[in-house]
Amino acid sequence: MKFSIKGPKIEVIVDAAIYNEDVVFKCFYWYSRDFIVDITKNKNEFMIILEPKTAGCDELLLKERVAKDLIDFRLRDTVSKETKTIRELIIAKAFAYYEDETIPEREISDPVGFNPQNISR
Amino acid sequence: MIATHPSIKTNRKFKDQQYYKTDTDTYFLLPFRFHRLNEKREIIVNDCGDFLVVDRGMVEKIISKQIQPGDEIYPDLLANFFISEQPVPPLLNIMATKYRTKKSFLDHFTSLHIFVMSLRCEHTCHYCQVSRVSDNRTAYDMKRDHIDKGIGMMMRSPNPHVTMEFQGGEALLAFDNIKYAVEKAKEEAIKHDKQISFVICSNLALINEEILSYCKENDILLSTSIDGPAFIHNKNRHRLGNNSYELAVAGIRAAKQALGEDKVSALLTTSTLSLDYPQEIVDEYYKLGFRNIFLRPISPYGFAARNKERNFYSAGEFLEFYKKALHHVIAYNRIGEFYREDYTTIILKKILTPFPVGYVDLQSPAGMINNVIVFNYDGDIYASDEARMLAEMKDHTFRLGSLDTHSYEEIFYGEKARTFSDAWLNESLPGCADCAFQPFCGADPVFNYATQGDIYGHRPTSDFCHRNMEIIRYLFELMDNDKEVERIFRTWIKPNC
Repeated sequence: MKFSIKGPKIEVIVDAAIYNEDVVFKCFYWYSRDFIVDITKNKNEFMIILEPKTAGCDELLLKERVAKDLIDFRLRDTVSKETKTIRELIIAKAFAYYEDETIPEREISDPVGFNPQNISR
Repeated sequence: MIATHPSIKTNRKFKDQQYYKTDTDTYFLLPFRFHRLNEKREIIVNDCGDFLVVDRGMVEKIISKQIQPGDEIYPDLLANFFISEQPVPPLLNIMATKYRTKKSFLDHFTSLHIFVMSLRCEHTCHYCQVSRVSDNRTAYDMKRDHIDKGIGMMMRSPNPHVTMEFQGGEALLAFDNIKYAVEKAKEEAIKHDKQISFVICSNLALINEEILSYCKENDILLSTSIDGPAFIHNKNRHRLGNNSYELAVAGIRAAKQALGEDKVSALLTTSTLSLDYPQEIVDEYYKLGFRNIFLRPISPYGFAARNKERNFYSAGEFLEFYKKALHHVIAYNRIGEFYREDYTTIILKKILTPFPVGYVDLQSPAGMINNVIVFNYDGDIYASDEARMLAEMKDHTFRLGSLDTHSYEEIFYGEKARTFSDAWLNESLPGCADCAFQPFCGADPVFNYATQGDIYGHRPTSDFCHRNMEIIRYLFELMDNDKEVERIFRTWIKPNC
């Protein structure tokens, strides 16, 4: 990540190989309270221009916050992509209609010799 | 389900640890989100609301698969469904059931039916969203034809237990119509095999023995307003004689005596003046015999939005007030008195129990239409109480139709309802979708629209988001730092509290 101050604006350059588009947009969405955010993509990097809405921005703190947030959103992206199918399965099963009873797939054995499947009805 | 092992015969003997070991040493992540609680601690939360508070840096270790089976946290991560040793977790059905349970408030659809019996009121509260001082019953009272049609629509709800809430203005100014509505609703409930709860929202200035006796006969609950000690209440709630506080207090005492302590509740509205008096307000509720208080910010709708000097404050200012008041409530509990804060309790129930909470302002899908519907005095139907407040500002965006012209299906499943449904899930809203507090929070398209101009909202500048994220974070921090607070909080969520 490269961080530079260009007059009243702050320019952040982010390596697109490390931080994908989802990560960059989700991260800088939260900066749109205090800044006018402009994101453009060049070949292998994103350029983000942050224009403060009010004066009094602490650049050092901001740099630290951006670096932390990018890592956090990359972590979130990792979990989100790795677990997408499971999340969809949970929600689909949660709202599906269930059969009342499922039959066990395996045979049941017992060390004391009691076989419940030999019980005559 | 237990993983099968080809070399071991399946029987019911206890197995050694090797039996349960998987072929791979790594684990698989399950869906979860995380949030930095403070400089030292962070929290992970899954879709079902299971959570773990851990030291900073742990989340990165979990996600980058650095946790080993021998690590202390490993079994907690497994047991709370944050990781799995199989690609598809063996307890997937359990996770689905937990998720379904969290959303079970949807099972029966709309429960709360608000009937605005009259817009007339003898108060002129500066933060009031809707009411009118008028003697014109024809113009501002709900007609009996509309009461009938509203009850008819209420009976169409799939919910076997509905609540009929009478609001105003001052609902008791139309007490004859309330009696008519109660009788009619009871008749219809028998025909449709429904249970009904009745609530009258009133400032209690007009309460008398006849009304109390009727409420007792029909098991009607009373919900009123107390804004704190007299100097705050009377400043907020104007009426001729400047005696709103005195009448409300006398009304509360009479109602509690006639109906019972648990049949009368009071709500606080936090005006700008209130912000300086958190302890005095908490003490006032205690003094009046209440053992609960609902610290509620002002709704930025209707006439309230016009008086910015008295009614406008930032989410930050409200949070400061809330925290001071909450600490004062907790202090009562530390000396052995049961006293709870209701908004905190709603969130705690979401955090500490597997069940949903029937609170329409903090749900996903949002409470509008799904849990609440409003029949206005003029027969118009609105998606929520706040929606009709907007209508008093001539903004009818959330008007779903009219009792005169629209069917149940057109109202509840119509084009407008479908449009709002695009924005009523926090699971799919920008900012909310990645938020760790999503299972404990909600979506509020009406608030978004009223404060930010569209139903989707913009989280970074949203007071709703700022307020709820900070309250939820703060509650976790309090419980993490002080186990006595957690013990107190757990007493607040016990059934029947």
